[in-house]
Amino acid sequence: MKEILAVIRINKMNETKKALSDAGFSGFTAAGKVLGRGKGLVDYQLIKGAQDGYQEAISQLGHGPRLIPKRILTLVVRDEKKELAVQTIMKTNKTGNPGDGKIFILPVAESIRVRTEEKGDTTLD
Amino acid sequence: MVMIRAILRPERVQDVIEGLLDAGYPALTRINVAGRGQQRGIKVGEVMYDELPKEMLLVVVPESEKEIVLRVMLKLGKTPPSGVYGDGKIFITPVEETYTISSGFKEE
Repeated sequence: MKEILAVIRINKMNETKKALSDAGFSGFTAAGKVLGRGKGLVDYQLIKGAQDGYQEAISQLGHGPRLIPKRILTLVVRDEKKELAVQTIMKTNKTGNPGDGKIFILPVAESIRVRTEEKGDTTLD
Repeated sequence: MVMIRAILRPERVQDVIEGLLDAGYPALTRINVAGRGQQRGIKVGEVMYDELPKEMLLVVVPESEKEIVLRVMLKLGKTPPSGVYGDGKIFITPVEETYTISSGFKEE
């Protein structure tokens, strides 16, 4: 079992939901609005300058890039469906611009269905 | 890669975020959460509050850079000078793969 945790653009949520259910992933969990930032908005030259001790660079630090609102969704899938889920999310969310988001894949040790207390892969479908 | 999930005090989070940027880790996600810890919440007079607001930070970094991020979080996440109950917890989980959606770039 794998947990797929995707951070995506807010306005892509509905499309992603539809694409996931069309691909056969009916269940998932989504958090409301989350805030985040990526690597794109950061001026590495500035950080390097500050590390080297240049005052002008240090004075510009601190404000930093602002945190951008995103949506986060997690779904737990069987090992063999991982690739399909990643491709589905990737295809719907890809605009090619920085800020499209990230997908993380984490291992899951166990899953239990609360209603029947059954364990393992059968809880996922 | 590892995912660092830090549950921190809302009033300390901004310092931690700025500290992470200064240390060269700009990428993170921030989530509002509520929860309780080992003190079972906080008691004010007669009322017991067992769902305290906290902020959760998600940071994914290569395993070798884990310690740097942890040091920043532990240093800035504490209530000065030496920390009190309720400052939060940090959990570390393995991440098998990471995809950047805009480029399709995959890291393991």
